[in-house]
Amino acid sequence: MVDWRLFEPLFNYARKKSLWIVAFCTGCGGIEMPPLMTSRYDLERFGMMPNPAPRMADLFLITGYVTPKTLKRIIITYELQPDPKYVLAHGSCPLNGGIYWDSYNAIKHLDRYIPVDVAIAGCMPRPEAVMDGIKKIMEMIENGTADGWKRYKENYEWYKKNQDELFGEGWREKEARRWIPWLKKK
Amino acid sequence: MAKEEVIVQKVLEKAPYAEGKVKRERRIEFKVPADRIREFLMIMKENNFESMMQITVVDWLKDGEFELVYQLWSYTYAVHAFVKTRIPRDLDKARMPTVKDIYPVAETYERDAHDFYGVYFEGNEKMEMPWILDDAEQGLFPHRKDFDWLGYTKRKYKILDRFDEDKDNYVI
Repeated sequence: MVDWRLFEPLFNYARKKSLWIVAFCTGCGGIEMPPLMTSRYDLERFGMMPNPAPRMADLFLITGYVTPKTLKRIIITYELQPDPKYVLAHGSCPLNGGIYWDSYNAIKHLDRYIPVDVAIAGCMPRPEAVMDGIKKIMEMIENGTADGWKRYKENYEWYKKNQDELFGEGWREKEARRWIPWLKKK
Repeated sequence: MAKEEVIVQKVLEKAPYAEGKVKRERRIEFKVPADRIREFLMIMKENNFESMMQITVVDWLKDGEFELVYQLWSYTYAVHAFVKTRIPRDLDKARMPTVKDIYPVAETYERDAHDFYGVYFEGNEKMEMPWILDDAEQGLFPHRKDFDWLGYTKRKYKILDRFDEDKDNYVI
């Protein structure tokens, strides 16, 4: 019997060096992604790449403001990801609403609905700032403090309460029945 | 005579009920009574205004009126036409005939106007279908001027704003 906890530092090192990103760009920060991915800032030298499938991804970039409609998709996508999963929030909008502080259609505190590991301030953060945040999340993965996915499991009741307060009970079923073709009511 | 004036004269000959003027180069403006908007837009389409760019709603709260601006573009003349009409802004009276059989793209813009302002376009069968807004704002018509925007936001997200912040629950 192997005690896998002994290998945890090695695993964390490997996780840090192969962060795959969910290709899910919300808001205005999505436009910071192309320069990050392409030759100028070249994120792939950190072993990161965008991936269309949440089942294969580790890092979720919330790039900018989040509307309630998007937040539903974000929560579902976040829960689809396999377990060591990290969230990096760009800009001031996921922190406190930013310039949408009085808007009825932008959520104000993202960390009430899903756990956020690293938040980058700025409106919008430059690609350098995003890279700084990524460096930070790599450090946190290596020393084991990027534990958002554990917090989500432990405090799931609290997160679920906040989500249900915003969307109403049973929003998952309602959305599924509205959008998934084989569940649609004829 | 400039091409804009020629167009305005040509349209006004066929539609004497409308007022028209040239705003500036490549911008013309018409004011039409609300019940004749369909026949007026048909005349505009015959006069080479091929595409509709937008239906804008302006909320004139003090007058108690909505101003609907049908923005048309002519590829032939390269002229942008504003067709303005006014309707009462009360929810039960803010009704317009649809123009989607004249300009098919109007279907989308009419749904927009219905979602955000509560203008009902008769004849557009997609009017009741959910469009941009989420379920929570459905039927609130949040872009009307008398909608309590900040109060609704504070209630929905349970936040304080920067004017009534306190030390325990600091938001911005």
